[in-house]
Amino acid sequence: MNPIFLLGIVAIAVVVYVIGVYNDFATAKTRIKASIQEIGNQLKRQADLIPNLEESAKGYLKHEKDLFRMLTDARKSVQSAVSSGDLGKLSDAAAKVAELLPKIQVVVESNPEIKGADVVTRLMDELRDTSDKVMYARRTLIDLVADYNVKMVTFPTNLVANVFGFQPEKGLDTPSTGTHLEVSSAETRSPKVQL
Amino acid sequence: MVNVYESVAANRRKSLLVITSFIAFILLAAYFIARGLAAYYGYESTGLEFTGIALVISGFMSFISYYFSDRIILGLSGARPADRKADFNFYTVTQNLCLAAGLPMPKLYVIDDTAMNAFATGRDPKHAVICATTGLISQLNRTELEGVIGHELSHVANYDTRLMSIVTVLVGLVTLLGDWFLRATWWSRGSRRRENGNAGAIFVVIGLVFAILSPIIARLIQLAVSRRREYLADASSVKLTRQPSGLISALTKLGADLEPLEAANKATAHLYIVNPLKGLHGSMDWFSSLFNTHPPIADRIKTLESMV
Repeated sequence: MNPIFLLGIVAIAVVVYVIGVYNDFATAKTRIKASIQEIGNQLKRQADLIPNLEESAKGYLKHEKDLFRMLTDARKSVQSAVSSGDLGKLSDAAAKVAELLPKIQVVVESNPEIKGADVVTRLMDELRDTSDKVMYARRTLIDLVADYNVKMVTFPTNLVANVFGFQPEKGLDTPSTGTHLEVSSAETRSPKVQL
Repeated sequence: MVNVYESVAANRRKSLLVITSFIAFILLAAYFIARGLAAYYGYESTGLEFTGIALVISGFMSFISYYFSDRIILGLSGARPADRKADFNFYTVTQNLCLAAGLPMPKLYVIDDTAMNAFATGRDPKHAVICATTGLISQLNRTELEGVIGHELSHVANYDTRLMSIVTVLVGLVTLLGDWFLRATWWSRGSRRRENGNAGAIFVVIGLVFAILSPIIARLIQLAVSRRREYLADASSVKLTRQPSGLISALTKLGADLEPLEAANKATAHLYIVNPLKGLHGSMDWFSSLFNTHPPIADRIKTLESMV
């Protein structure tokens, strides 16, 4: 076989490979952007949902002033975060909603009267669902970014990434130092539950 | 401690190995049976036409059940569509996991049966159907349900309905070929046999051996493929939910539930999260576990526990 012919085949194979990898990177970048929008979309849904839940649960929860204040707080911070469009603020707001759920649960468990109410059960279901949705939307972003960044640093896809100047994606912004990465001596002791 | 990503990757590798050996075996068996059949009738050719005809027949039978898998299964099982309000957890958990997995929302159905089980079917993610029994929905909490739905969605994402249909076509192929060979040699008793020398006789003998053994061997590898895909779906479920504990406690509950599912039969058994036809014998020895569509629940739990 003619060596030039052979070389031609190799060159074509390389070009096809490079095109494939380039398209993978470009697709992944688009998917990452879309998944960030999805987080915003879920937070928007949450912001629309909470006032409605607030309204319907009002009658049952009016004695629980603190709880009600927290629900309102969570709604306000979600709304302001959505209007500012800042991803960091959005994450903070979602964390607030997630924090709210166990507190409501405590109140509901201790009060058989409101435990029986369908409205409250629905409120809890919907709150859990909405914070799950935000969590899974973030999970998508984390996974997509991880896949993308793995390709950025592994051979031979990193060569293609360098040639076309792809940059690593940041993903979910989490501080890489701070108390969430440390274990205090109090936390190392096994927790005791007193009922 | 096993990393979720590594676990999924390892399961994919093992699955590929099983499928490759399955296809290699089918090719070998089909070749020798067809060759033996041709030698038996004294044809000059390699008998490839027999393989072709068997492939068309087997393929046609399985294609119908594959293409309409969503409708056929639902017709058999007597299921009703799920409703967001009535089946809140089932509906929203599927919605959320689809978000994480990047899959379109499948059609959801509920079978009215107190036995706890769930299955996924449909030819591709766009036509996917996930079905759960009322027993499952009512007895599992949300975290456990996430594990089960994650498992079913992984079957959808991994195209397991398609894979198992192809495997069924190939098992049907060698079964048909073996059947033809045995019928031919049985009924004609050599009356149509022509002189074709030693080579021909050897091919007839080899063909006979393959005709007898291939269908059972092919079926055993098919079941091994099915079990391998269950492990893969378990691992992929954990990759979605990051909570092995949910699936572990769901499987524990499912394992303790000894009630067989009335709507299930042998043709649909491999689709469910746990074998719906389970008997009362708890322990499974090595030999009988070869004939199972699902790995023993204890082994699945042990594998999941290594991921905690």
